[in-house]
Amino acid sequence: MISSRRGVLGAGAALLAGLAAPRVFASAAAPVVIRMTAGMRGEHVAFDPLGIAVEPGAVVRWVCEGETHTSTAYKNRIPKDAVPWDSGYLLPGKTFEVRLEIPGVYDYFCRPHHAAGMVGRIVVGAVSAEPDYPDSGVPAIARRTFPSVAEILKRGRV
Amino acid sequence: MKLPVAAAAVLALAAAPAFAQGVGKAPPPAPYKKVSELVKLPDFIPGIGTLYVDPKTLPAGPFLAYDRDGKLVSTVYMVPMKDLDGKKKFDDLAAPGGAVDHVDFYYNAGHPGVEEPHYHVVLWHVSRADEAKVAK
Repeated sequence: MISSRRGVLGAGAALLAGLAAPRVFASAAAPVVIRMTAGMRGEHVAFDPLGIAVEPGAVVRWVCEGETHTSTAYKNRIPKDAVPWDSGYLLPGKTFEVRLEIPGVYDYFCRPHHAAGMVGRIVVGAVSAEPDYPDSGVPAIARRTFPSVAEILKRGRV
Repeated sequence: MKLPVAAAAVLALAAAPAFAQGVGKAPPPAPYKKVSELVKLPDFIPGIGTLYVDPKTLPAGPFLAYDRDGKLVSTVYMVPMKDLDGKKKFDDLAAPGGAVDHVDFYYNAGHPGVEEPHYHVVLWHVSRADEAKVAK
């Protein structure tokens, strides 16, 4: 089960094969926080961290620190059997949480800042290869922004 | 070449008569509507103020920005980057806010209502010191 404060993700059990390289996972004991940032005049928007590795079952919490943001999962860039989420618009100080239990790669974006390349990637559990996700509907600047799965797993957070 | 073109247009607007359409105090008359009631934005945006716009003029505007006391502080135009890249021209944009003290141009990555990278062209009707009235 993957649950959220404002929505629910699907259940499933798609275990993937083991990994090469060291793995660094964020603790599942407390929510993993992803900041949603913006410059004073709405420039330099970003998710921080941009990419993160978590254990299955981890709760991920997005915190809006400036401007208006969303955390919106791509429908076709998440694991099979997972259900995409959409936080809706979050004003400064607002948060949104999901629990991610299905292993795999979750790509998501901010709706008002998608065209500016504000995207993020979460790697849940053991993932053996880079995802073969479609690029349709993803702006070129956003495609260049996703960190590789290998880098996320090596560093834990990017 | 993009910004100088926009700058020339803005300078031409700067000579408009003061509050030509009675917009000096919030709320401005119809067809202006409060932006926070049209899209998910805070009622008061730090650095800008409380925005009103005629929805038919989106995305360029003008947006009228007011301080917390309801006084008009700026007129804002929002010009998508793709329109600048496409050399699109914007003729005869309304400029009801009156005399302009100074002008800011700055990039914005997007927000509800204009969900694409764009430039804010801000005609300030108050001094640089009085920008502080909408800073927080």
